[in-house]
Amino acid sequence: MMAETRKFELAVSPHIASPESVRRIMTDVVLALLPALAAAVYFFGFRVLLLTGLSVLAAVAAEVLCLRFMRKPVNIALDGSAVVTGILLAYNMPPSAPWWLPILGSAFAIAVAKQAFGGLGCNIVNPALLGRAFLLASFPVLMTAGWRPPMVDGPSGDGTWDQSGIPTARLEASDVVTGATPLNLLRQTYDWDADAAEAEAAGDGGQAAALRDRAAVARRLLFSRDTRINLFLGRIGGCIGETSALMLLLGAAYLFFRKVLEPRLPLSYLGAVALFAWIFGGPGAFQGDPLFHLLSGGVVLGGFFMVTDMVTTPVTRKGRIIFGIGAGLITMIIRRWGGYPEGCSYSILLMNLTVPLIDRYTKPRAFGEARKHG
Amino acid sequence: MSRARSFSGGTHPPGNKELSGSREIVRIPVPETLTVSLCQHLGAPSTPVVKPGDKVAFGQVLGERNGFISLPTHSPAAGKVVGVVEAPMPHRRTGPAVVISVESAEEAPAFEPWPYWGNRTPEELTDRIRDAGVCGMGGACFPTFIKLSPPPDKRIDTLIINGAECEPYLTADYRLMLESPDDVIEGMRILAAVLRVENPCIGIEVNKPDVIGLMKKKGVRVVALRTSYPQGAEKQLVHAVCRRKVPAGGLPLDIGVVVQNAGTCVAVVQAVRDGIPSVSRVTTVTGRGVRQPGNFLCSVGTPFSRLVEAAGGYGPDVKRLVSGGPMMGIAVHTDEVPVTKGTSGVLALSSEEAVGTDEGPCIRCGRCVDSCPLSLVPNMIAKASEYGKWEAARKLGALNCMACGTCGYVCPAGRHLVHYIKRAQDEIRAMARAGKGA
Repeated sequence: MMAETRKFELAVSPHIASPESVRRIMTDVVLALLPALAAAVYFFGFRVLLLTGLSVLAAVAAEVLCLRFMRKPVNIALDGSAVVTGILLAYNMPPSAPWWLPILGSAFAIAVAKQAFGGLGCNIVNPALLGRAFLLASFPVLMTAGWRPPMVDGPSGDGTWDQSGIPTARLEASDVVTGATPLNLLRQTYDWDADAAEAEAAGDGGQAAALRDRAAVARRLLFSRDTRINLFLGRIGGCIGETSALMLLLGAAYLFFRKVLEPRLPLSYLGAVALFAWIFGGPGAFQGDPLFHLLSGGVVLGGFFMVTDMVTTPVTRKGRIIFGIGAGLITMIIRRWGGYPEGCSYSILLMNLTVPLIDRYTKPRAFGEARKHG
Repeated sequence: MSRARSFSGGTHPPGNKELSGSREIVRIPVPETLTVSLCQHLGAPSTPVVKPGDKVAFGQVLGERNGFISLPTHSPAAGKVVGVVEAPMPHRRTGPAVVISVESAEEAPAFEPWPYWGNRTPEELTDRIRDAGVCGMGGACFPTFIKLSPPPDKRIDTLIINGAECEPYLTADYRLMLESPDDVIEGMRILAAVLRVENPCIGIEVNKPDVIGLMKKKGVRVVALRTSYPQGAEKQLVHAVCRRKVPAGGLPLDIGVVVQNAGTCVAVVQAVRDGIPSVSRVTTVTGRGVRQPGNFLCSVGTPFSRLVEAAGGYGPDVKRLVSGGPMMGIAVHTDEVPVTKGTSGVLALSSEEAVGTDEGPCIRCGRCVDSCPLSLVPNMIAKASEYGKWEAARKLGALNCMACGTCGYVCPAGRHLVHYIKRAQDEIRAMARAGKGA
């Protein structure tokens, strides 16, 4: 009798694999983003849950529809990447945006920025950020006028804050017109400085001095310790997910712990923002306030969750550092001299476009390969 | 103790060495039929010099060396040649083999034993190692005598014995070093004598503290290595031990270093001292697909099925059978393939252990780039290969890849990076040959 011959599966080596998977990475990112959502609910109310939920639903639905349209397996949509895109897009939106805004933005992000380029891994720019850029260009008022003051009272009862994070009591004592966000107010100080220079040229010395004085007062308030604490905790006006540095750092710590985050990208980005803020972010050279620039606007959110998007950033170590520094520089250039008060998202989008070039010129030298001369 | 040395990059898969690590080496009886491959070494297969019906003695030459990079093949037992055939092989679909019907399993020296090999010249020793068919037992199967005959312009000053055994699951070298330390050491001394190297050393991963202690007690220079994969890859080992980098496309010879596996040392000592050609080896049979994992001394030509039998037979769940370790080993479709000199392990992996074959798109996480011990860009080479851009793959350094599997192990998308890169290597080499032919 012939013995039964067993057949075994054939496969390529390696025959074992790390437990890491794309879905696990995406799940970790979603978990890391949740503390910031909790802070948003606390400061802006339950409406942000609705906006975020709609954004996520729309992103996943858009993914499913695109895959079905292209006759690709629909279960790809379950890898979690669309959920991350949906959350990030909502986080980049003012808390009082109309309900259809995140839906439109998510659909655009997934269909145009991601699936049209071939889906996960093939998109050139960060889908959530392109979705935001699309909304900002199409609905500039809705995307910038919806700032809400944080709804929580201060610890001592009488301490309340306006959207720019400045205690109301101190604000009333000055004649500073409050800004919608800390960065909006900072933008205004630059404008006042420019107006002052103009007034001086026109010979109106009194007006110039008044404007300069106002800018100086506003800056002093912005860079004060109280404001800084509010910036850190998130008691400021801003996009849904960007205001609470504390909660975002909590999420980032989790991602570091899970080894999902590679440190070069966030550290080089935040380092560059701090450095360039100090160099040219202030009224004169080397007078900037690095901490204010790190904690305001989208730098913490962008630095840990969007500069670090794997698909749209370099794969080489050196390349990641170049990417982070480039994005940090562009962020600060836009903040200082650009038309928008905040430059985080555009800086990342611009750097996304340079990634193939960066990868190409930062390819590591192979082990034992001679250094090239000439 | 000084800090364990290592290399940059790499990964640390679970060792799973506890499955078989505590099991003493057991001799598997020589089966009734042996299928002896004529191509157990790297290089040209040996030319068969026996025909069906011939009587052969233990250690008799079955196939002669054929070219410079080649080795003779010997009979692992006395018996009768049944056929010279193409048989299924672990490292390729089929290969030339001599099938022997065993009549006696008794071993006898096929060469004059040299218990006092100290008065032999390096040339005599090298010739003996060549004629005994000794090749690298770590898995690469490179003919050992070639590493012992460096070109006259290359001065060798360092001999490293590779006792890293960095492949997960495998414990054959570990057991060998623990149970026959004197053979390993004597083999090392023979190799050092041939190369005229003063102070050879043995590199061992710190996950084998008992072997490190034992070797130190016996006065051997031990270099403790961090437990990291691929610590035992030649270039990584050399870099960890003596901080010298083997040039890309070069050999350790180029920087004055020779690396030999611990198992090879035992084959060398048997060839020189005992006059026994290389016809057997220690193999780890393990994985959660066998009932009693262990380490076995077996004759070359023994079918895998016998090894699995010796390890208690298959368990209820066997998904994949692998010749070698889990990182670089080759999956075989049948257990009727024979053991060769390079069979360091036979793994029966359960469906829980063996990675699935589903593959997702690259998410450019860069983990393969960060962990490649040769500083390559596996994701880019694989992509070039996927699209048939062989020239682009060559420019990215595809030929440097040693297929260690680190990239494939760490890839969260489960991409078959090693497959794509090996494919590119084949195509690039074929292109080079075609270019030469034209």
